[in-house]
Amino acid sequence: MSDAFKKEPLTWHNPLSAWGTAEGLDEVPSVTVPDPREAWDANTRYKVKTHKVGRLKHYVVWPHHGEKLWSRWRWWPTRRNVLHIHGLYNRKTLAAEKKIDDRRPIYWMICLLLLALGPFLFPESMQNTLLSAGAIFGIFAAINVCWTLILGTASIFSLATYAVVGVAAFITTWLSIRLGLPWYLLPPIGTALGFVMGALIAVPALRLDGFYYALLTLGLNELCRVFFTTSKLFGSASGGLYGADSYIPDWLSPMGQSWLGYYGAFALLLAALFLFRFINGKRLGRILRMAPEKREAFAQACGVDYRRARVQIFLITSAAFGFIGGFYAAQYRGVAFSIFGFDTVLLGLAMLTIGGIGKAEGAILGTLVVTFLDKVLIDLGPLRHFLIGLIMLGVVLFLNKGYFGIKKQFDAWRDKKRGEWRSLRSEKGGEALPEEATEIDDKDELFFRRFDKVQRDHLKKMICPEIIEEHRRRPLGQHSEALERVLYYFRRSPMEDKYALHHIAATDRYRIIAFSGKRGVSPRVVEDREYVTIEDAYHGIFMRRIHDLMES
Amino acid sequence: MELTFVLINAVVVACIYGLIAVAVSITWSSLGLINLGYGFIFSFAGYGAYVVALYLTRMPVLVAAAGILTGALGGILMCLLVFIPLHDKPNFTTRGMIGTLAISLMGSQALLLQFGPRAKSLPELFGSKSIHIGATVLTADKIGIVVCSVAMLSFVVAWMKGSRRGLEIRAMMMNPHAASIVGIGIRKTGLYVMAVTGAMGGLAAVLLSQTYYVSPFSGLTPLIKGVSIALCGGLGSVQGAVIAAAILGLTEAVTSRYLGGQYVLITQFLVIICILIIRPRGISGLLDKGREQ
Repeated sequence: MSDAFKKEPLTWHNPLSAWGTAEGLDEVPSVTVPDPREAWDANTRYKVKTHKVGRLKHYVVWPHHGEKLWSRWRWWPTRRNVLHIHGLYNRKTLAAEKKIDDRRPIYWMICLLLLALGPFLFPESMQNTLLSAGAIFGIFAAINVCWTLILGTASIFSLATYAVVGVAAFITTWLSIRLGLPWYLLPPIGTALGFVMGALIAVPALRLDGFYYALLTLGLNELCRVFFTTSKLFGSASGGLYGADSYIPDWLSPMGQSWLGYYGAFALLLAALFLFRFINGKRLGRILRMAPEKREAFAQACGVDYRRARVQIFLITSAAFGFIGGFYAAQYRGVAFSIFGFDTVLLGLAMLTIGGIGKAEGAILGTLVVTFLDKVLIDLGPLRHFLIGLIMLGVVLFLNKGYFGIKKQFDAWRDKKRGEWRSLRSEKGGEALPEEATEIDDKDELFFRRFDKVQRDHLKKMICPEIIEEHRRRPLGQHSEALERVLYYFRRSPMEDKYALHHIAATDRYRIIAFSGKRGVSPRVVEDREYVTIEDAYHGIFMRRIHDLMES
Repeated sequence: MELTFVLINAVVVACIYGLIAVAVSITWSSLGLINLGYGFIFSFAGYGAYVVALYLTRMPVLVAAAGILTGALGGILMCLLVFIPLHDKPNFTTRGMIGTLAISLMGSQALLLQFGPRAKSLPELFGSKSIHIGATVLTADKIGIVVCSVAMLSFVVAWMKGSRRGLEIRAMMMNPHAASIVGIGIRKTGLYVMAVTGAMGGLAAVLLSQTYYVSPFSGLTPLIKGVSIALCGGLGSVQGAVIAAAILGLTEAVTSRYLGGQYVLITQFLVIICILIIRPRGISGLLDKGREQ
């Protein structure tokens, strides 16, 4: 019982005694009643650090209907909606509103538009550097978008990507030089070569997994490098093989050639994105995502033929790599040995890691960052590779799934922190937590809960042996102010679980029961104890309520 | 005569690459980390030995010790930067591998910035004497390489079998989770493992630099060979790595003798591919169940 306030004995004067009292009690000994403002001040003072809460997931909501209109539009020739829009009614104003559930198509459009308009936005002095870097970006982004199908969708750690691209580029260049093949035949021939390479790579992939496969493919890359660099046929003396036919005509001005190269690479990137969407978002992608490494048995038990899917993905992506290799030869009139270099694989891996493995947007962003550092900031020298390594290390250390996994990771972190803050608020006392408060429509309810809590805090201070003794002596009738305030509070409690007395007619005794609060549902018996007199029973209930109040 | 020559070369090559392969294998089986940063550790240790030889002393023992210590330092660096921050994070294996690659990229560039692209040579550690056994000539460097590698490997194996720390590492190899429950600190053990395997890489660097030179990117070939041998022997198995080192050393020696140096990698990878297609987990690799993080 509370000793928080000074219990000065005083005499309480009954204000109604002028009209006479039945028992002649116009004055009773009492305790002082503390100032209710103290409880209010104590409750409104911050104890725990509080944080802003509300609807944290913020959506942009647009006015008017729109769901039906947008759900009719499709991306030709697929059956996909152009934008996922969902219609809703505002709970306060009842106005019709619409919400874009997935804004990624809009972002894609903006980014691709920026890439398409890029050459017009480049500063004059840097135009040549940026155009050639942009062409390299387009080709490498296309490679990475296809590579992410194997690394992300199929989750097979294959590092033979540049081996396929390089082999296709070297052989098509050689064919073009020897047989005089025109440029438009190089990508299709590259595709065929890539297809064959894909079949070769797919064989060990069915037996090996994880790092065995990664290291084997890395070895394959090294093998190709050694083979091509030492082979006189492929120009071991000149650091590469050059002289293929190109789609960029010689008669064009150097700047015109750069522009054409940029847009050629951009078109290649668009084709790669289309391929990514076509595989990742369709049946093959789903099958592959269903059967990642180490979970093949489960997928097989579900009826997924993952071997077939893996062979398919290797054939398709390798054909795509072959196409890109042929395109590369047709763009740069040949290819250098550096395409097989360990550094090339490493930088490719850095591109994928920075953006986030398994996402087309991640592959493109990573390529953009790495190409910018590597090809535009050439003045930095070896420092630029150091910077790329630093970014790569930072991403690996701090981000779970690259740049495009930041949001999910942040959400998870925020949920964790929210749980921690919630557990810090140990003194809840029946009040609504800020998080649940946002979900309660009737805000009066929140104010009532807060008021109730403050009132209980105030009343707890008044509970002392003196008022209990006073109630024991006279359960009914006029009481001192402190006891009367406590009793008013008890009387006003809701019907649910409210204590009452049950008179047992057979034994003429009393028992404490609690109402269910629902019509037709019987009250429950609270305790076995039976009271002989009704005054004792009243006091029994009072003691129970005091106990509940002090516990609350 | 020719066969002996080929065999001696095979043993020498196997000894050097075996060191890195065993290092890769031990790191993988005890920490679950595929350390692709041995290329950097290799070059780093080579430069450590070079700096000591240039500024302090050219005494062979001290130069080799400097190489080994720098290698250990490189291993500790790798552990502090990649293993300790990452080992309890999701997707550790892939992230760990990419992290070691990132350090390798940064480290090589830092070495390039500091020492320039020109290759540096280390002083000869074993002198230029040679021993004639019958028709066979054993040069001092070959004997030295074999003796040092075998000594280092024996030391590591004895240390792992006999010492308290070795017991901890073996416990980690069997079941890292259970090991951590019974009070074996994953981070502390990680530091030991990386220091010792780094030292092995360092010794390999010092030994190989007798034949080749030290340059910022000189660690790449030993790394790829070491990793391929570890892979071929089966990740996590020391004896597998030794057997694979012997097989691939023999392949290398035979190929370079009869076909030419440019075909070495091709024949080696063909051998590896054949072995792996027959035994997907290497010659004596642990099954996945044997090591689950």
